Amino acid sequence: MKLTPQEKTMLDLFKPGTVSKDGFLGQDSRHVHDIVEADLRSLVRLGLDQNDVADRLSHFIEAGKKGLETTVDLGDFTVQVQWQRGLILCPFGDKRRLPKLMATVCNKKLDQCIRYSQLNVHMIREHGFFEGEGSPFRLNPAALVHLLDIQPTLNKEE
Amino acid sequence: MEGLSPWILFFAAIFTGNILLTYFLGMCSFLSVSKQIKTASGLGLAVIFVLTITAALNWIVYWHLLQPLGMEYLRYIVFIVVIAATVQLLEMFIERYSESLYLNLGIFLPLITVNCAILGVSLFMIIRKYTFIQSVAFGAGSGIGWFLAILAMAGIRERLNEKKIPAALHGPGIALIISGIMAMAFIGFSGMVQIQ
Amino acid sequence: MTVLILKTVFLITAINGALAVLLVIAERFFANYGECRIRINDQKELTVNGGISLLSALSSQKIFLPSACGGRGTCAYCKCQVQEGAGPLLPTEEPLLSPEEINKQVRLACQVKVKQDLSIRIPEELFAIQQFETVVEQMADLTYDIKRVRLKLIDPNAIQFKAGQYVQLVSQPYGKVRESVQRAYSIASPTYENGIVELMIRLVPEGICTTWVHEVLQEGDHVQIIGPMGDFEMHEGEGEIIMVAGGSGMAPMVSLLSDMLKDPPKRKATYFFGAVTKRDIFFLDEMAEFEKRIPNFNFVPALSDPQPDDDWDGETGLITVPLGNYLSTIKTENAQGYLCGSPGMIHACVNVMKENGISGENIFFDPFG
Repeated sequence: MKLTPQEKTMLDLFKPGTVSKDGFLGQDSRHVHDIVEADLRSLVRLGLDQNDVADRLSHFIEAGKKGLETTVDLGDFTVQVQWQRGLILCPFGDKRRLPKLMATVCNKKLDQCIRYSQLNVHMIREHGFFEGEGSPFRLNPAALVHLLDIQPTLNKEE
Repeated sequence: MEGLSPWILFFAAIFTGNILLTYFLGMCSFLSVSKQIKTASGLGLAVIFVLTITAALNWIVYWHLLQPLGMEYLRYIVFIVVIAATVQLLEMFIERYSESLYLNLGIFLPLITVNCAILGVSLFMIIRKYTFIQSVAFGAGSGIGWFLAILAMAGIRERLNEKKIPAALHGPGIALIISGIMAMAFIGFSGMVQIQ
Repeated sequence: MTVLILKTVFLITAINGALAVLLVIAERFFANYGECRIRINDQKELTVNGGISLLSALSSQKIFLPSACGGRGTCAYCKCQVQEGAGPLLPTEEPLLSPEEINKQVRLACQVKVKQDLSIRIPEELFAIQQFETVVEQMADLTYDIKRVRLKLIDPNAIQFKAGQYVQLVSQPYGKVRESVQRAYSIASPTYENGIVELMIRLVPEGICTTWVHEVLQEGDHVQIIGPMGDFEMHEGEGEIIMVAGGSGMAPMVSLLSDMLKDPPKRKATYFFGAVTKRDIFFLDEMAEFEKRIPNFNFVPALSDPQPDDDWDGETGLITVPLGNYLSTIKTENAQGYLCGSPGMIHACVNVMKENGISGENIFFDPFG
């Protein structure tokens, strides 16, 4: 199918070497929209929506920022945030540029850590994109919810 | 069709036999690109251009190439090819002289090729046996009719943006309701002029 | 029957062929913009073949506008004023320009296509920017994630720059990365050693250019750099000089300190270096040397999370702590702040400086986003 000029540049942005070194699709052969749909369905099964996940991820980033690259202890979790100079472009072509914040959050009880960036938070919130299978920054929704103990936000209208 | 003044045909194609609101052709880009007046009018002008040119070209190709050779059955393929080439030319032209319009129209510029209104006009003019002048008048009129319809739709949608609409009707829902009401208004014109 | 098929095939081919030829001719006509003249600052005039971006047109004539994203329209470094000939503002430019800039006809050079004669204005300093062919003379690890890269300039073989400026390093395709990118790095070498350029490059996880530097680049490789660029520099003044930089942010500070060796300031200078553990600290010997040879210069490193076997007896805590403590003991009226490093650290320290009476106009840092 003929792609618009915007779609052509957008799909290029997901490949390795344009926005990030390894790209956002890993070994996944599905189209970006299929990945988003599949992951959003997992979220629905868990009773959550994109904003719940994005809010929780943001919370850790904000807490970690205060440490200026030192690990911050938050009780059940520790978080370390690195903030590099420059801005990274969102590959979805919405022209948003995100600061290069990288957070490493560890769940003390499960003794497991994950790593994600401010770009991930934006892509989850605005586009429902958790990255393709095999991508170094892919966040599997179910694992993410379990590790970060993400709860649905209160007073959601039915 | 003998004796039908091109001017009557022209105005009939705009109002009483509006290709979109009476014949329901060319709906997809009509529904998708009618959110903003600027983009809608850009697309509308593009459609006028394509309809007029292709009506003229296809008339020549049919009556002076296909029919003498007895290969009228090829008209579906040949018309589409001519339409595609015209749209490509238009794309090049717009990309060169108005890059912002080109970027704003996005996929909908090449999609004019498969807009059923374009092929519809070419096929109608053959079925109704219009002369060359009549075909050009019909093509231009249909284009202007389509342009007016999408312009009116964009105007209405821009106004409705500020009003409260039930959430389920946002986007395509309200667009279809508006087109339905517009089409009903145009039914009032039916039977006024015989154009076929 | 066969005749029918042949006739059909022949006719379709003929029509398609005729239209294809028509389209090719049309494309030649439409895509050919001919020669366009670009008038710069009402003095210089260039002639280029139209159809390319303003950024490429200028660089093909050896005039380099800063660009960190390589023309993708995301970094907004290539802003310049286009007085005539740019056409209407593109939707790709709008989100990156402020309303004042749009009023002043500021455009993104990488998005503006040269289709007709143009008249533009660019700052005079940009004329000094050149593209240098260099060779990697030496690469050494400063810490586990920062490398020091020493480049020997080949062509041109000397660079004139002010301490605090940066260059853009051009990376090469490697692995799955199929394009070269440009990234900005501050110059760490002294201004008077103008045959070399030293950079301090920190590995960014998933970073395209830094991964290339750390994993692919070898001594003896040829590398292109473009520069010098940037307005971060030492300013005249009477108050104390307060420098704050962590990690690879030390690079411009080293260059500034080298200048101070040659031309010692009469003002007191203190450099606050924040890190997490001992493995993040480097250049301690060099800093001790600077302390010895520059009158009134003090180096204050601070670790926010020293480990027991770090054996650390210097300042501890976030860098804002020793900074704030020091500032509260001095007169800050005319003091100047110079910062380089992570945006979070800069933001926090600028706040501490302002809280302690240093005015915003006396605080300087490179706005690398």
